[in-house]
Amino acid sequence: MYRAMIGPGHSACPGSSSESTLMPAPLEITAASKSFRTPEGGTITALDDVSFGLDGAEFVTLLGPSGCGKTTLLRTISGFEALDHGTIRLEGQDVTDWPSHKRPVNTVFQSYALFTHMPVSRNVGYALEIAGADKATIRRRVGEMLELVGLAGLENRRISQLSGGQKQRVALARALAGRPKLLLLDEPLSALDKNLRQKMQHELKSLQRELGIGFIFVTHDQGEALTMSDRIAVLAHGRIQQLGTPQALYRRPANLFTADFLGDSNLIPLVVAEGRGILPDGQSFTLNGAPRAGTLMLRPEDLTRTRRGEAGLTFKGVVAARYYSGKDFQIELDCPGTGRLLAVLRDDGAVPDTGAELTLHSATDALHVIEEVQP
Amino acid sequence: MKLTRLLTLYGIAFFAFIYAPIALVMVYSFNANPVNMMIWDGFTLDWYRLIFGMETGITESSTYIDSTPQLHAAVRTSFVVAFSTTAISTVFGTALALAVARYRFRLAGFYRVLLLVPMIMPDIVLGIALLIFFITIGMNLSVLTIIVGQCTFLISYVFVTVSARLAHMDVSVEEASADLGATPFATFRKVTLPSIAPGVFGGALLAFIISMDDLVITYFIAGTGDTTLPIHIWGMLRRGIKPEINAIATLMLLATIVIAGLGLYLRSRQK
Repeated sequence: MYRAMIGPGHSACPGSSSESTLMPAPLEITAASKSFRTPEGGTITALDDVSFGLDGAEFVTLLGPSGCGKTTLLRTISGFEALDHGTIRLEGQDVTDWPSHKRPVNTVFQSYALFTHMPVSRNVGYALEIAGADKATIRRRVGEMLELVGLAGLENRRISQLSGGQKQRVALARALAGRPKLLLLDEPLSALDKNLRQKMQHELKSLQRELGIGFIFVTHDQGEALTMSDRIAVLAHGRIQQLGTPQALYRRPANLFTADFLGDSNLIPLVVAEGRGILPDGQSFTLNGAPRAGTLMLRPEDLTRTRRGEAGLTFKGVVAARYYSGKDFQIELDCPGTGRLLAVLRDDGAVPDTGAELTLHSATDALHVIEEVQP
Repeated sequence: MKLTRLLTLYGIAFFAFIYAPIALVMVYSFNANPVNMMIWDGFTLDWYRLIFGMETGITESSTYIDSTPQLHAAVRTSFVVAFSTTAISTVFGTALALAVARYRFRLAGFYRVLLLVPMIMPDIVLGIALLIFFITIGMNLSVLTIIVGQCTFLISYVFVTVSARLAHMDVSVEEASADLGATPFATFRKVTLPSIAPGVFGGALLAFIISMDDLVITYFIAGTGDTTLPIHIWGMLRRGIKPEINAIATLMLLATIVIAGLGLYLRSRQK
């Protein structure tokens, strides 16, 4: 695995180049570990020596299946969970032992966690009310925040009178009203329907740019992660599997887990000999670097019916299944020697149906080798 | 069809069985007959006048209230006890419910059961135990012993009511408050307490009514000079059932209905 890609200081973040190098990083987590006791008496390692950070005002997504440690990582930043080992720094300040109410970060909760006994205005103004701001200041700030999230004029509504999307926006306004140094979002869009979720994804992203603060967004939805993030940290088993830009993670996954979790992929075992990777059906291609064994990853959209360039791989087989998705077809191709391949072909009116023979090609630049052997 | 009618009849009989005795007491409280209350002798408010210490047409020999001031003293004692125990048990019961619900500690389940036991403990056992305890530590029986003694089981009632409310409360709301900068105390005051207020209020109401009503345990731990209303009524009854008891019972019932009704009204308004 590419351990070098993990940890602060190794990222290539497009949004942070304008940050002064003298400014300490908004967030720096070093060697964080956390385990929980189960009721049965066992222990679960939720975080296993995780180092992670934000280089500037970037939008970073913690992505992984449930139980991978992403929510625990978020909760240790907000202070709801204490670390067993490791340190957390916010703008250079060690806050590892600070209680959550002293930390300059705010959270948008999955369940929204709004105060149902208060109207919208007191929810949004809560941080300022607690900080002892005067009424006029609070009123002004609440107005600004509601304007920002598109709920201007709803100050006096009761929480029970709001729709799911509106609750979501109130939760967002409430978390931003106190001007946090960092905004944490714990699967905030999971309760919304698809259209609203997409709209909120775009709004959150532009909001983050506008505010110029770091957002850490937790989700198990890979599409959401790819759409919104400057960088994505893929977590599994309490470890960061890979940290990088969405493009880097999608095109060049460092391990089988990331390849499998982010999008669809064909994973073909390789035998390595004399600097070439040999597929089970006998085809081979030149390898960069010198891995001893590995797995070839081919994205379904990289398989085409027409050959691009001279080199590349060719797969001949029988269409086992064909699914229509609107603008394109998903094809399952049974290839002797290679196994079943997944391809996405544009609907040009000539995509062969189930049972027909089909030859697909992939260009050399689409080939990505993962230095890990499938179990 | 016939079965439906039978069931209807059964329903009527069932409710008659439960409520007829209470209705009788209310009717008797207005009966002018001073000797035999089973015989209707005309409508009167004299029994109510009597217990409020007003002028009545009743001759002294037909009443059992040794003196109206004694009755009034008993009512006063009952209120002092009920208000004190309600205040104490509400604070402690709520604190216990919060502790058991919010903190993880060893043997939490065991402590939860320990807190429920006083509710199902036979009154006689609790009464005797408290009496022996107070005597052992050399405490003279007084209003204070009644208050301390009643609190031992009233706390359980508040604990149960508040726990039920807490079980439905989303913990992340408290986390949100802390996240937005509120100290644990501010979170309790601004978020937790308003959320569980109906439970706390319901528990307090329950404690008040049970305290006003308790006879067996209080009987064991009351000093000779400190008679609560139920003990006073019990004393009157031992010398025969007399009409003014009906009036007292009716007033107690009315008070309970008013208090419970007020509680239900306030609870429904909060939703």
